[in-house]
Amino acid sequence: MVEHQSIYLALSALLFVIGAAGAITRRNAIIVFMCIEIMLIGVNIAFIVFSRATQSVDGIITVLFIMAVAAAEAAVGLAIFVLMFRKTGTINIEKFNLMKW
Amino acid sequence: MVGKEIFMFDNVWLIPLLPAIGVFINGLLGRRIEQINKSIIHWVACGSIGLSFLVTCVIFFEMLGLPPEERLYEFTWFTWIAGGVLSTSFAYMIDPLSMIMCLFINGVGFLIHVYSIGYMIHDEGKYYRYFTYLNLFMFAMLNLVLANNFLLMFLGWEGVGLCSYLLIGFWFSEEANAVAGKKAFITNRVGDFAFIIGMLLLFTSLGEHGVWSFNFTDVFPSVHLISPGIITAVCLLLFVGCTAKSAQIPLYVWLPDAMAGPTPVSALIHAATMVTSGVYMIARANILYSLSPTAMWVVAVIGALTALFAATIGLAQNDIKKVLAYSTVSQLGYMFLGLGVGAFAAGMFHVVTHSFFKALLFLCSGSVIHALSGEQDMRYMGGLRNKTPITFYTMFIGTLAIAGIPGLSGFFSKDEILWQAFSSSHGHVALWAVGAIAAGMTAFYMFRLVFMTFFNECRASDDVKHHIHESPKSMTVPLMVLAFLSVVGGYLGVPHALGGSNRFHHFLDPVMGLGPGKLLQKAGAAAHHSPEGAHAAAAHHSLAVEYLLMAVSVGIALLGIYLAYLMYIKRRDLPEKLAERFKLMHQTLYNKWYIDELYELIIIRPVHALSGFLWKGIDVAVIDGFINGMSRALMWSSGVVRTIQSGFVQNYAISIIFGTIVLLVYYFLQALS
Amino acid sequence: MYLRVSSKGVYMELFTLIICGGLALGTSLMVVFARNTVHSALWMIASFFFTAVIFLLLRVQFIAILIIIVYAGAIMMFILYAIMLLNVRISDSAKSGMKISKITGVVLLLLLLPVLVLIGMDQVIPAVKGDVTLQVMEKFGQIPVLSRFLFSEYLLPFEVVSLLLTAGIIGAVFLAKRR
Repeated sequence: MVEHQSIYLALSALLFVIGAAGAITRRNAIIVFMCIEIMLIGVNIAFIVFSRATQSVDGIITVLFIMAVAAAEAAVGLAIFVLMFRKTGTINIEKFNLMKW
Repeated sequence: MVGKEIFMFDNVWLIPLLPAIGVFINGLLGRRIEQINKSIIHWVACGSIGLSFLVTCVIFFEMLGLPPEERLYEFTWFTWIAGGVLSTSFAYMIDPLSMIMCLFINGVGFLIHVYSIGYMIHDEGKYYRYFTYLNLFMFAMLNLVLANNFLLMFLGWEGVGLCSYLLIGFWFSEEANAVAGKKAFITNRVGDFAFIIGMLLLFTSLGEHGVWSFNFTDVFPSVHLISPGIITAVCLLLFVGCTAKSAQIPLYVWLPDAMAGPTPVSALIHAATMVTSGVYMIARANILYSLSPTAMWVVAVIGALTALFAATIGLAQNDIKKVLAYSTVSQLGYMFLGLGVGAFAAGMFHVVTHSFFKALLFLCSGSVIHALSGEQDMRYMGGLRNKTPITFYTMFIGTLAIAGIPGLSGFFSKDEILWQAFSSSHGHVALWAVGAIAAGMTAFYMFRLVFMTFFNECRASDDVKHHIHESPKSMTVPLMVLAFLSVVGGYLGVPHALGGSNRFHHFLDPVMGLGPGKLLQKAGAAAHHSPEGAHAAAAHHSLAVEYLLMAVSVGIALLGIYLAYLMYIKRRDLPEKLAERFKLMHQTLYNKWYIDELYELIIIRPVHALSGFLWKGIDVAVIDGFINGMSRALMWSSGVVRTIQSGFVQNYAISIIFGTIVLLVYYFLQALS
Repeated sequence: MYLRVSSKGVYMELFTLIICGGLALGTSLMVVFARNTVHSALWMIASFFFTAVIFLLLRVQFIAILIIIVYAGAIMMFILYAIMLLNVRISDSAKSGMKISKITGVVLLLLLLPVLVLIGMDQVIPAVKGDVTLQVMEKFGQIPVLSRFLFSEYLLPFEVVSLLLTAGIIGAVFLAKRR
């Protein structure tokens, strides 16, 4: 049992929700990407809390991997944004809605 | 049942098979063969019928070699329907009745096939098509008469109706011919509907007593088990089928229109064979009919009425084939009259003799039409006596036969029917009177036909007159053979009163359940008083009455001939004057008593209206509307649903969140409880 | 022990937690609400900093440092680079076309929040506890303990992640190069 566990978890939940709200609200692709990173941070906190509480190291390892994945995702994602900008001159994701009916 | 050791009996399947082979060869390869050599087609067709006739003769003579009580053999060819109680086979029955029918069907059919060669070879219709249909018809008809069970007989029944349609509408490029074919088929269908119901009613009511079979040898000995009401119903329903097939009131209307087909077709189908299948059916089911006096009475009355009614119409027609058509209807009425009063053998005798002279008359008229380059209206004929002698003499013989002049076949058969109508226990003097009057009319209009066609001056147009010629040998030889048979055929059935032994009648006794034969009488029967009763009753009326009636009928016939002579040879202005004085009567007779118009009004228009409603109101609006509506609803709903895939990633993220909420709430609540 | 628990220090942790937590939340909110993209990036870096402090409070120093190095150091540099490359200054210039669905989404999120919080507060960690206690970590040092697990039990995911990073590099290079 971690001390003030519920505060940590509430913090994690709040960070996640803030990140999600930003991800679905903003139109700039880069801002959306940053909000996704905020969501990942919130999830990381929850993992660490639970890892501490069960006194095992699984959660921490998971956080490591999450960070690695976030790095790779950043690289590829930004490369895609560059391509999008080159093609259409904008990175307003509302303009990219061709995969629809 | 003996016969295993008799050679040909087991090959009775050859009789229908040979025409079937003709159908396949001519039907499938006909077009090619026609390009190579047209005569192969008629060799195949006539050859198959000829061979079939030979087989029939062999079997017939073998059967004659057996004593009367053993003249019944059944041969099963193959199983047709293997369905529990409904199991039926293609099985044939060799007995006197079926053999007689086969003999004249094949014989007269062969002659008509030969005649068709001359008639159709220069026709613009397809040669191979004609012979294919003709052979198909023979196949169906032979199945009908040889069948040993109701279902196979019905197969033949329908088959001849189909071939009738195909052949009537042979020159289908003229719309009137196609319409006539349609009329024939539909009218026959109405009768067939009643026939099926009757047949199945018989099947099920026998089944209640444990006899689940369509075979004649199983059905007829057990019919006395069924209640009389049902027997009458079955008999009447089957008879409705006969009225359609054999052109009686009320379903005769197709036969006059069927003259739109080629003349040999009229001769074969509408004179000799198809229309007699109704008579055959009732003769075959004589045991069934004998059990129902009501049905017999109905048959006799309708037969008599039809005989008179059709004769009246024939008086006023001008188309040579129409006169013969109404004469056929009338003669068929005689046959049913004979059947209805219990004289089944007499009816069958008239079938045989009628097939000879009516086929002869039709073929002669075909010869006349051929000579006159297609003219069919008698008002434009005349004077052919010297130009086409063979046709004239043979037609004259045929006319004498149909008028019932003593010495020819028609006299013996018609007379026997009239005598039975008077004297049988089912008979009545009124029936005899109607028959006698009709006989007089028959003599009158047939001689009118002969006088208008062959006597006086030729009223045809000039270029037709130049082309008048006698028909080729292939057409005149059958005419001569049929004329010979029309004279000689009657001597098979010379009645006792005139010193003969009435061979024909006794030959058929076993089928009718009389005499030592009683072929179909396995279980003893209450069924047989009536024909024996007829004999007994006949014995009451003395020979004198019989001679008197014979004299009366001959007298009436001679009166008719004299009247025709008067009106068409001696005083040629009489017909017009009479038509003027009795204008209404003449118009009614000429317009066939307006029956066709009546049917149009009370049956055809309502059915059209109903089907129009069913089409537009139900089929289009409801059923199609339902299906189309379903597809429209589907398209609408999918149009609504597809907006979910908007292409905006953020909307997808929102739906993920929504799903997450639902799941989490669910699990949370579960954990709580 | 990096933070001693003293009679004054008992509340020190809590105090730090609340302050840093609040600041982390605040800076995250500023990321979401900032109009200027570069400002958002800068607020993001601040948020990472405060999050690292929270990790420190949770006694996972290694992760805290990694947050600074990887997230704030590498990833945010990426993003700033991309912002400058793509010349994005003022975002959201035009009107949004999906107002209704966005409002719906935010409402849903506001519904999600209490659910998560309630679930979080309701957690009862099972009695079975592993053996990597705080003392163990202190005794051996965090990195040895982590690496021991990383290279034995989690070797496969480790290698796969390396593959993933390689793929990421190749992908990024391929996507962004000019024809």
